[in-house]
Amino acid sequence: MPPNTSAIPRFERSHGLAHVRLRPGPAGARLEGLEQAGSAKAFIHRGVSGLEVVFLNTSGGLAGGDHLRYRLDLAAGCQATATTQTAERAYRSNGPEAKVSVEHRLGAGATLDWLPQETILFDDSALRRETVIELGRGAACLMLEAVVLGRAAMGETLARIAFSDRRRILREGRHVFIEPLRLGTEALTSGVAVLHGARAFATLVMVRPGAEDAVGPVRAQLDEAGVSGGASGFDGKLVVRLMAADGWPLRKQILRLLAVLKPGPPPRVWQI
Amino acid sequence: MLTPAHLALVQWLSPAFPTGAFAYSHGLEREIALGNVTDAASLELWLENILRFGAGWQDAVLLAHALDADADTEALDDLARALQPSAERLQEGQEQGAALARTVAAITGRALPARMLPVALGEAARGLGLPKADVAALHLQGFAGNLVTIATRHVPLGQSEAQAVLHRLQPLTASLAEAAAVAPLDDLAGCALAGDLAALQHETMEVRIFRT
Repeated sequence: MPPNTSAIPRFERSHGLAHVRLRPGPAGARLEGLEQAGSAKAFIHRGVSGLEVVFLNTSGGLAGGDHLRYRLDLAAGCQATATTQTAERAYRSNGPEAKVSVEHRLGAGATLDWLPQETILFDDSALRRETVIELGRGAACLMLEAVVLGRAAMGETLARIAFSDRRRILREGRHVFIEPLRLGTEALTSGVAVLHGARAFATLVMVRPGAEDAVGPVRAQLDEAGVSGGASGFDGKLVVRLMAADGWPLRKQILRLLAVLKPGPPPRVWQI
Repeated sequence: MLTPAHLALVQWLSPAFPTGAFAYSHGLEREIALGNVTDAASLELWLENILRFGAGWQDAVLLAHALDADADTEALDDLARALQPSAERLQEGQEQGAALARTVAAITGRALPARMLPVALGEAARGLGLPKADVAALHLQGFAGNLVTIATRHVPLGQSEAQAVLHRLQPLTASLAEAAAVAPLDDLAGCALAGDLAALQHETMEVRIFRT
């Protein structure tokens, strides 16, 4: 049931929308519009390999009743990388879920690398996130989602969560990729085909004509200690799945894969 | 009383129907090689996970929607394809779906295009007038039964021991089918993360008997 927002005092929740619009310019993508409201902000800076958009949740994490929206529109032919300033933390909820909506739209021939930092789920958190990347004709994207269950360094093991994280990529209105993840309390202890002991996992997907060709170079990098991974190329996609005992080796493996899949260094905020 | 419609569905979902299910282990071959499935208990847990949190539930929901008289079959087929985590799993759904559609078309004279398996089955069974939960339950038991047969040969497991796994999964199979029959497409979610990863890793196994 959706939270009755009128009954929750304003100071207990945070809402935010950051909407960035980019268009191509003579020296790469340039800012056409920026709308920011509430706890969502976006920064733009020119990195070594093009424009980088960094989204930020100024409330410092997600609590029950929060609603955060990040949007990025790339005009035809535009190329950009987008990420988040820090790992997103979903804190204990007192009932209502936190919502995050990510909606990126790419015009014809545009290219986006959507590389948010990991999402850390705390015990008793309730988070519903929907990520949609809409590709125009000939547009291409690289999308990452990494999830860490609790803070391993603090010996935390999750007993109860409600996490729904639907990731979708459409090309000209048709689904080309959908990963509707739903991880609830009963799945935490289900075993061999679910988490199988992992506390961190990630999906990296590239959609572009010829994406299948990257499967060889990517597989050659899938040997980070403490990470189990697999890669497959099909239907104009490269899909990489990773599972690890902890967020740190997962991050190291992701950085190695980005070095293969993306020209230039990773987003500046990602660097370790 | 069982009607000819029931008998047709049982025929289409029997292991003798030429959909080629025996060639697809859904990642089980990799799980056996990893030592994750070694006996009846570990097979049952793995299958329970796949049915509840993986392709079992997802295919049952897709099937239930494909059974609707006004289903957007093209969009459901796109969705079924887009949901596959790997090339082999796409092949598993695509080739079995095409074979099912082709064979049902050949024996009934109906025009049935190649679709992903749950969508092809839904489209084929649409005119039978059977309850969605019945079609979904028989489909899920067929899916699990094929994997149990594979485990019998390759774990290996005794025949009775393996069939007892399938028997113990029947209450779950029936309740998943009931729920899938009325689930909206937004409920098409899962978390068979390790199961999917095993399916991806199957692609690079040096010795493989199965296509998935």
